[in-house]
Amino acid sequence: MFGFVERAITQVGTTTVRIAREVGGIVVLAFDVLRALFPPTLDGRELVKNLYKMGNQSVPIVALTAFFAGGLMLVQSAPFVEKLQAHALAGWAAGYAVLREIGPILIALMFSGRVGANNTAELGTMTVTEQLDGLRALAIDPIRYLIVPRVVAMVVMLLALTVIGDLVALVGAAITAKAVVGIEFSTFIHSVVDNLKPYDFLHGIYKSMVFGASIALTSCYFGVTVRGGAVGVGRAVNAAVVAAAVSVMLLDFFMTYWLG
Amino acid sequence: MIELAAVRKRFGRHAVLDGIDLQVPTGARLGIIGPAASGKSVLLKLVCGLLRPDAGQVMIDGTDITERSEEGLAATRARIGFLFQNYALFDFMTVGDNVAFPLARRGGLAEDEIARRVSARLRAVGLAGNEAKMPAELSGGMKKRVGIARATIAHPEIVIYDEPTAGLDPVTTSKVYDLLRADQETTGATVIAVSSDVEALCRFVDTVAFLYQGKIRYQGAAQTLTDAPDPVVRQFVRGDLEGPLEG
Repeated sequence: MFGFVERAITQVGTTTVRIAREVGGIVVLAFDVLRALFPPTLDGRELVKNLYKMGNQSVPIVALTAFFAGGLMLVQSAPFVEKLQAHALAGWAAGYAVLREIGPILIALMFSGRVGANNTAELGTMTVTEQLDGLRALAIDPIRYLIVPRVVAMVVMLLALTVIGDLVALVGAAITAKAVVGIEFSTFIHSVVDNLKPYDFLHGIYKSMVFGASIALTSCYFGVTVRGGAVGVGRAVNAAVVAAAVSVMLLDFFMTYWLG
Repeated sequence: MIELAAVRKRFGRHAVLDGIDLQVPTGARLGIIGPAASGKSVLLKLVCGLLRPDAGQVMIDGTDITERSEEGLAATRARIGFLFQNYALFDFMTVGDNVAFPLARRGGLAEDEIARRVSARLRAVGLAGNEAKMPAELSGGMKKRVGIARATIAHPEIVIYDEPTAGLDPVTTSKVYDLLRADQETTGATVIAVSSDVEALCRFVDTVAFLYQGKIRYQGAAQTLTDAPDPVVRQFVRGDLEGPLEG
């Protein structure tokens, strides 16, 4: 009995210390990145390369997901729209959910799975093959050369993908509205334009910026702290994806509360 | 002058270096040998400031680098060329870009001039015409030679080689050591080299230090290593199965 309690307490303590160490490491990395940004001395070639790799190549998957997510809003609400004859509010309902919540969260999670995981694996492999030490040995700061361009690219590109995803999701919702409930496009567009405020859009944009920074920092942190070869890289990717998803959900909760 | 004084380094409970005192005069060629996992690579990384000692001092030309920040170390590292045991080639760059990297980052040279020097350097290590290849397309021996080209292209004042000939055939090993010697004689650089190929290493360096159980057990002329008075050193150098060498 005492052995079980002791093991449980040890487990809780170990996990708490590990989480505290990881959160602390991510915060320190965030400060290092901020310090490197003032004045901005990031490598232009690395930035452009990462913008392309992380952003452009993510557009198809984000667009596909957003289209069906927007459509899903309408499929779920269609029975109530029909029952209450609320055709004029369908666009507003779908737009409100997409712009404020579904768009930023869904695209952030997709981004984390595709770009964040890839980033962790890449940096992790570079860490275990001593490439980061190779940079340091050549008097190059890996934070400025590798991390800062990736963080900037991820924040910028998640923002851009969220804007694209929002638009595609609304298109998906409009097409589904027409197909499932028979709502005309003009009615849907009026519903969106008349009822939604610019702040509804900005609300999601603010979130996506914070989500981008969070995914970037967690994926970079777990990448540069890899230990133990290929197995360690696998563990780091797993930890990065889980940490990013948890942080996105927690940040979404608090930001929704604060932003109103 | 590179000087290590009472340097200690632990990883967890394992004391890898346990009081290292070592001096490498400017322009000297020092070889470091020792059993596997005896801390040779750790020692090299301490000299470059890639690791910090738990105790003791690492001095380069009278300046203690152990307390310096990463930014403060940049000027020291710019004077050092480092060949890593596992090459540490940047896998997102071509061979040419890898070799050009130290020159390109330092600035002051036109792209044409950098390209010319890269070609010349790759030719010197027997890899002419491989500029456009990616590191993943190379064999281990080729990667090692690209690493040598990158470590030496900027003619650093201090050159650190971690297993410069591992994975190379005997003929290429001789060629590489001839090249390293010619480079050193031209530039007058201070060289520290770690190698498991003791015989070939001894033909390149002036003095050899034997690292064993966290300490420099022996330091002396490379030519007289096989006649070292310490039976542990003799057993290691001769590769005898029987003897006092542990592990």
